[in-house]
Amino acid sequence: MPQPTDLLQGTLDLLILRTLVPEPMHGWGIAQRIQQASQEVFQIGQGSLYPALHRLEYKGWIQADWKASENNRKAKYYALTRTGKKQLEAEIESWDRLAGAVALVLEQA
Amino acid sequence: MLNEFLARLRFFISGKSYGEVDEEVRFHLDQQTEANIGAGMSREEARRQAAIAFGGVERAREQCREERPGYWLETFVQDARYAVRGVRRNPAFSLTVVLTLMLGIGSTTAVFSVVDPILFRSLPYGDSSRLVSVGLVAPIEPQEFMLGGSYYEWQDNQKPFTALTSEIGTQPCDLTESNPARLDCARVEGNFLPTLGVSPVIGRNFTANEDRPNGPRVALISYGLWLSRFHLDPGVVGKLIRIDGHTTEIIGVLPKDFEMPRLQAADVLLPQALYVAAERRADPGHPMWAFARLKPGVSIEQAKAELEPLFEYSLRLAPAPFRKEVHLQVRSLRDRQVHDVRLAAWVLLGLVMAVLLIACANVTSLLLARGASREKELAVRSALGASRMRLARQALTESFTLSVAGGVAGCLFAGLLLRLFIAMAPDGMPFLSKARIDPRILAFALATSLLCAVFIGLLPGMRKAGAEALTGRTRTTMRHAVLRRGLVIAQIAVSMVLLAGGALLAHSFWNLEKQSLGMNAENIVTAAISLGQTSYPTAESQMAFFQRLERNLRYGPGITQFVISDSLPPGGYHRDTIYAALRVDGRPALASGTGGPVAYRWVTPEYFRALQIPMVQGEGFMDEELTSNDHFVVLSKSLADRIFPEQNALGQRLHLAGGAPAANDPTYTVVGVAADVKNGGLAGGEEPEYYRLRRQRAEDWDRSSVLILKTTLPPDATESWIRSQAALLDPTVPVDIKTLSEGVGKMADRPRFETLLVGFFAFTGLVLAVIGLYGVISFFVVQRTQEIGIRMAVGASRADILRLVLGNALRLIVPGVCLGLVLAMALSRVLESLLFNVAPHDPVTFAGVAGLLILVALLATLIPASSAIRVNPTVALRCD
Repeated sequence: MPQPTDLLQGTLDLLILRTLVPEPMHGWGIAQRIQQASQEVFQIGQGSLYPALHRLEYKGWIQADWKASENNRKAKYYALTRTGKKQLEAEIESWDRLAGAVALVLEQA
Repeated sequence: MLNEFLARLRFFISGKSYGEVDEEVRFHLDQQTEANIGAGMSREEARRQAAIAFGGVERAREQCREERPGYWLETFVQDARYAVRGVRRNPAFSLTVVLTLMLGIGSTTAVFSVVDPILFRSLPYGDSSRLVSVGLVAPIEPQEFMLGGSYYEWQDNQKPFTALTSEIGTQPCDLTESNPARLDCARVEGNFLPTLGVSPVIGRNFTANEDRPNGPRVALISYGLWLSRFHLDPGVVGKLIRIDGHTTEIIGVLPKDFEMPRLQAADVLLPQALYVAAERRADPGHPMWAFARLKPGVSIEQAKAELEPLFEYSLRLAPAPFRKEVHLQVRSLRDRQVHDVRLAAWVLLGLVMAVLLIACANVTSLLLARGASREKELAVRSALGASRMRLARQALTESFTLSVAGGVAGCLFAGLLLRLFIAMAPDGMPFLSKARIDPRILAFALATSLLCAVFIGLLPGMRKAGAEALTGRTRTTMRHAVLRRGLVIAQIAVSMVLLAGGALLAHSFWNLEKQSLGMNAENIVTAAISLGQTSYPTAESQMAFFQRLERNLRYGPGITQFVISDSLPPGGYHRDTIYAALRVDGRPALASGTGGPVAYRWVTPEYFRALQIPMVQGEGFMDEELTSNDHFVVLSKSLADRIFPEQNALGQRLHLAGGAPAANDPTYTVVGVAADVKNGGLAGGEEPEYYRLRRQRAEDWDRSSVLILKTTLPPDATESWIRSQAALLDPTVPVDIKTLSEGVGKMADRPRFETLLVGFFAFTGLVLAVIGLYGVISFFVVQRTQEIGIRMAVGASRADILRLVLGNALRLIVPGVCLGLVLAMALSRVLESLLFNVAPHDPVTFAGVAGLLILVALLATLIPASSAIRVNPTVALRCD
């Protein structure tokens, strides 16, 4: 099972941003969602999730608010900001290019 | 967008509290635990699994903190605090470092403040980079000038310049008022200031009408004159003053930093008011100096090419002998101003940079040595999780702290040093008086400090101690040892270059001082007198004044010889003509060219006896010739040999103004041949020379003369006596009195000053390099105390130990000296034009310097060597 450190540099940021597109979420929710969506391929080491969340928040791509959670506890919800959306688009595009390029090399070489 | 920015700013300032992160993590763990329970684990197990999946809570918290935008500042503060603690813990070490840096940065800053106006700072004119000096160069005058006959033609037809302007030089003038003063009046064209891009601080510039002959008399005064005579009174504009007897209106004041483009002193600017039509007809006209502003996008080379047709025109005006030897010159105004000091400035800057390099190498070496003893501490830090990056940053912070301290101390030191330079410097070094410590220089000092910080911090910061350092028994210092040895070799090499430069200049100065001038300056007092134009308007009145003064002075106390000349050897001003102008009856004129310059002086008969210039042939001038209608001349030996090779020059007749109408070109009879005397300055080439007799006829006189008195009394007594006698005749005439030896000594002032400066830096460099060597060898001995102990215990004699230490030192000294010799050989060629009678590769100087360096370096190793041979084996083996 790949470790988070095996993720390409910056990929975790991309995954987090993508996960937040439908609705704001708290950290645990994000980890769960990434795990589910990747069909358990990515086990997000939660230890690196929070630094990443904080980094994105400092960059102004996501915004945090304390809200009541589904089981009525106070939790920190992260939401995409406008710059975050733009950033996500840019990152998806560059990821597509990268993935396409890697695929090309793999097919031809 | 603004919100986001504000959010980031808030994070930067306050960050997030630990509590917030903790809360978040706790929520996460609880959620995970719930989920695990849902999956069927016991509460205990669920919590355990959740914690395992999360990993280190503390680490996550730390990492969150490190993501904070202000984190680097936090670590910087931490590192700075650590650095300051280090400084306090080891004050002797820190003091050494700061003092060494102070010496390096201070010297560099002081020298930079001196060379900055010469090499880099823009001139005090508007957009000065586009200003050029334009003109002709001829063998007699290597600095470009213009002639009236050409200038106006150029001005009308030139294309590369937006404006061309001129000045006709500076002359002494008298402020004839209740409080008379002798001033320097510069005469300039009406468009002079606008072309230079200078506007008066108050008042206005000349109008076109004022720059016409017989136009209104107006003047612009210098800021200095405004301050000293009018106390910055703004009402000075419109005031009437009397200059040389003419009522003149002050129309403005020049800016404080204004200077004439050729750097002459000028208190007053007057319109030159030339008759342009007459100037155009005059060929070649009188000398003027032209300056121009290049059109945008036109380079100096282009301008020169575009002026070529005009130059052709000027060549046609030039007298035939000159045509092949006159060239067109267009160069930037800065080049014109600094032509003779630029090289010296670069050399000085280079030397002081070398000193700085040695100082930095010393500090690096010190830090490396201390780093070796801190190996264990670093190993512990790195074991506790400090990254290589973090350790390097810490080392850099420390070197920054030290460098900034050194830089601040260096600025103070530079201020002192600059004051010392100015105090030591001879008069007539215009650039030195412009040197000052201002924000620009401080910025330079700061930049230098930062550079030093990187230099001294990078090498020690690159290391990361291995875990083996933790064992406490380490042999890991070898790598730094190699580095430090490299540094010391480099230091020795650089100081070898410094010393070689210093020694070459000292040797050259020695030659300069010891050379034979061809005359004896002992017991000679000279008095230069220049009469005012208004009080003494005619040659008759001028001659009458000097003759009356002669009658009063000649038989005074202690005076054995009395001479009136127009100039003094061995350098400075003297009259010049060209060899082609000397013509012997019946011989054809010189086929082509000028034949080079020939110096001449007006003298009275006792000149040669007073200065003890031997007569090679003939008797020289006789007193009875003073009243003769005939003309007499004494030739210098070199001139006589050139005109009359293999002949007796005595009694020969020749003309001195070849080409002039016969009435103005009388026949001179050679009455003597005098030995050669230096006349081109101490280091300058010697020109052939002739002497004309200043007879008692008005045609031989003008307003300026130099009295030469040989006296048996102390010069002071003679001086006051001359002053009183001159004042009896006319108290308003300024008299400039000095001894001839003083005058000669002054000529050596600049080389002396340069030699002193270079010597000072060479010495500083040597001391620093030797300290560096001493440090490395001492460290070597301390590190090897145990080894030395073992060697002694197994039977090594003291001589063996001495050989070990000295051998080690020699392995640094010899490569250093060899490398230095190669470098010095390569670089000393630069000095060539500053040297007098010394080849830039003078073997004696180089050998001497190398020997001295090796000797001093060996002496420096004696102290650690002697402590090495006193090592007590039993003590050395027991410790540790």
